[in-house]
Amino acid sequence: MSIALRILLVAGAVLAFAFVAQRIRKSTVLMGDAIFWVALSGLLIVLAVFPEITFFFSDLFGFVSPSNFIFLFIIVLLMAKMFANSSEISLLKHRVNELAQENALLERSLRDRMGELEQKK
Amino acid sequence: MKILAVIPAYNEQECIVDTVDWLRRECPDIDYLVVNDGSKDATADLCRAHGFSYVSLPINTRLTSAFRCGMKYAYRNGYDAVVQFDADGQHLPSYIPKLAAAMQEHDADIVIASRFLDGTKPTGARGVGQRLITALIKLTTGTTITDPTSGMRLFNRNMIEHFTKDFDIAPEPDTVALMARKHKTIVEIPAKMQERQGGTSYLDLPHIVSYMGRTCLSILLFQWLR
Repeated sequence: MSIALRILLVAGAVLAFAFVAQRIRKSTVLMGDAIFWVALSGLLIVLAVFPEITFFFSDLFGFVSPSNFIFLFIIVLLMAKMFANSSEISLLKHRVNELAQENALLERSLRDRMGELEQKK
Repeated sequence: MKILAVIPAYNEQECIVDTVDWLRRECPDIDYLVVNDGSKDATADLCRAHGFSYVSLPINTRLTSAFRCGMKYAYRNGYDAVVQFDADGQHLPSYIPKLAAAMQEHDADIVIASRFLDGTKPTGARGVGQRLITALIKLTTGTTITDPTSGMRLFNRNMIEHFTKDFDIAPEPDTVALMARKHKTIVEIPAKMQERQGGTSYLDLPHIVSYMGRTCLSILLFQWLR
């Protein structure tokens, strides 16, 4: 692997890490949700600094090239993350709907009470 | 039997008043509730102006959630049964007492007003999907439901509770199939319906295809996974 490529990979990984860190500092992402990205960008740095890790696993499983291994690994990771997002969005949708329903029912019972009071007057 | 007609309404200013007036005239002893699903038109204003019984969702949450809102109202106010009733005037109020009678006679959990029980065959693209869903429900549950996509269904107290509390339950054919498999009693009565009386329907061909596809898949997935 050429020196230029290694420098590129390390620089890219460090940049990604810095970006995530900055977003956490600016409080645009919850810490609980950010942990995944901190871990992932940390992992990218480790893999960029020690490409031997990739070579080892690539050989171990018999991949044609280490980059194939990296692609597969990252794709699987991202798909898992996407599914987690999907299920979280489902839950959020459900909760927003529940809140809207409760809001509507509350407004109705308020209206009913007001009506009763009007009649008593 | 204390029955509530739940009428979900999204942008139905053209027919909501006629529908509710008709329902009140035909069935004066049946309570009703319009669920305004965050309409952008005058649906809510019309309900207020006419003194209708209604609730108003602050945002558009789609049919399932709007219907669930009505179910919660029914559950908390002690209703014995809820009939799902379209705002666009497709459903004839005169069938509500017949649905109720069938529910009591068969001690049913769900009674469906079927357009095809009298031997009428569904036609067109909707007809094909219709039959596919019927076949699929028969295959997976052993129950024959001639009109699974009928939007006019009567649910008993037990089903009201399901709608109030369960996570993923909708006034749709897949829920009917799921309930059939859970050995709920589902009965159909023959009924007529008419064309919608105003406003626009979303059911053009692409929507029909995607609706049918989703419904069929959903029936299968419910069958395998729940």
